[in-house]
Amino acid sequence: MRFFEEFMTDIVSIGAEFKDKFVNIPARLPAVLEQLPTALTGFIVVLSMLAIIAIAILVFSKVMYSFSKKKGEKETVVETSANNVAGATVSGTPLADGNSAGKLDLVDVDESTAAVIMAIVSDQSGIPLNRLNFKSIKKVEDK
Amino acid sequence: MEIIQQLWQSSGFALLGWKELVMILVSFVLFYLAISKKFEPLLLVPIAFGILLANLPGADLMADPAGLFGGVAQEGAHWYDTGVLRLIYAGVKSSIFPCLIFLGIGAMTDFGPLLANPVSLLLGAAAQLGIYVAFIIALFLGFTPEEAASIGIIGGADGPTAILLTGQLADHLLAPIAVAAYSYMALIPIIQPKIMKLLTTDKERKVEMKQLRSVSKTEKIIFPIIVLVICALLIPSCASLIGMLMLGNLFKECGVTDRLSDTAQNALTNIVTILLGLTVGATANGDAFLSPDTILIIVLGLIAFSCSTAGGVLFGKLLYIVTGGKINPLIGAAGVSAVPMAARVAQVEGRKYNPTNFLLMHAMGPNVAGVIGSAVAAGFLLMMFGK
Repeated sequence: MRFFEEFMTDIVSIGAEFKDKFVNIPARLPAVLEQLPTALTGFIVVLSMLAIIAIAILVFSKVMYSFSKKKGEKETVVETSANNVAGATVSGTPLADGNSAGKLDLVDVDESTAAVIMAIVSDQSGIPLNRLNFKSIKKVEDK
Repeated sequence: MEIIQQLWQSSGFALLGWKELVMILVSFVLFYLAISKKFEPLLLVPIAFGILLANLPGADLMADPAGLFGGVAQEGAHWYDTGVLRLIYAGVKSSIFPCLIFLGIGAMTDFGPLLANPVSLLLGAAAQLGIYVAFIIALFLGFTPEEAASIGIIGGADGPTAILLTGQLADHLLAPIAVAAYSYMALIPIIQPKIMKLLTTDKERKVEMKQLRSVSKTEKIIFPIIVLVICALLIPSCASLIGMLMLGNLFKECGVTDRLSDTAQNALTNIVTILLGLTVGATANGDAFLSPDTILIIVLGLIAFSCSTAGGVLFGKLLYIVTGGKINPLIGAAGVSAVPMAARVAQVEGRKYNPTNFLLMHAMGPNVAGVIGSAVAAGFLLMMFGK
């Protein structure tokens, strides 16, 4: 009985509170207008802050590029974390179909298995094979 | 007979009210969603368990007899009389847990795609639009500016940021906001595609983007330091989140702290996730959770999330026009910081319209930019409304 009485009292009070949220919307307009500049400023701040970082990255990468050009630093390539395939990277320039570049180390893996693995990686990642660069394929023994 | 009566009266069954009963049922629903439907299980399981623990009458796991957390202190009560979950909750209240989660996120994040295409940062910023839209609507519905800011941050789609900001500004809303934030993050594959389709044309969705440029290791090492310095100098209140995020990333990229990076990515993140989820769930007591505010927070969270997605896609359309069709607007939706779910959605949607399209790496840029964007937004709101 106590359980039911408490439930009814609370439901009535929750209902009244809920109604109050919507009934008084017009009365809250001045308070909202007061906070409107804060919202606009907040969005502009986020946009500007990230724009500043973008500019900083652009400037920095230009400096790095000219510096590395001088030093002949070899750049790494962006890793394809799409499928966490170790040793497979996306090469900057696609090669003509049928061509390959670099050397592929096969450790305890025959060529046909390696071809199947490369085809699966290409299919799953959606990257054409002529854009993928495999460094090594190694058989991992079950323990 | 009297002893049995006393035993009954002091038992949880006699103390059980309808609100506790409903909250226990809510925890069961969350268990079902997490375990059976696999909705963010790593967080929803501890959150659901926290809700269950906190609503078992008489257990007093969230009791604060010494008034350490703002309650009225009882005479003779010591700090060690405080409920065990309330003590652990200090990690949320003091922002330690969200910051440590950010350390782990930083150690797991590859900023390479962002460095390769810095325009991604603007998409990440535009996808914070929902925070401010929800903030304004929440004010209309009678929430205080502090509460409205905490509700709005759901639009950032970043759980730790939402918890940190709410813990600081409106901790009585922590449970509904955390549950809403994590639920919507789990529902990204359902919510986002409709908005993406609505705001883009067939031609735009088919755009194939150019291969990303290569990024040097040095760039990746210097990036976290530059971002921290810029952000912390301009908005000092975001230094804790951005600082930890960038520290974690530096561990990952510098190449000489593999052990620290490994701990931050795995053991530390897992431990903090358990404590954070459990205590956030434990704040959901019946009185606080079963109120009109919770229903409104759930609705406002959806509005925030949808507007953020729309903001990213619309900015993507702008970039599509400005660049002469080189940017696929779908990647803008990944600007909400739910990593990597939002980027995966962009990839899946892109391939639906052009099976040879590969947008994942392009979408990862705005995706990780969204993490920085939501932390900056939280820092700004903390600066405006923090004590």
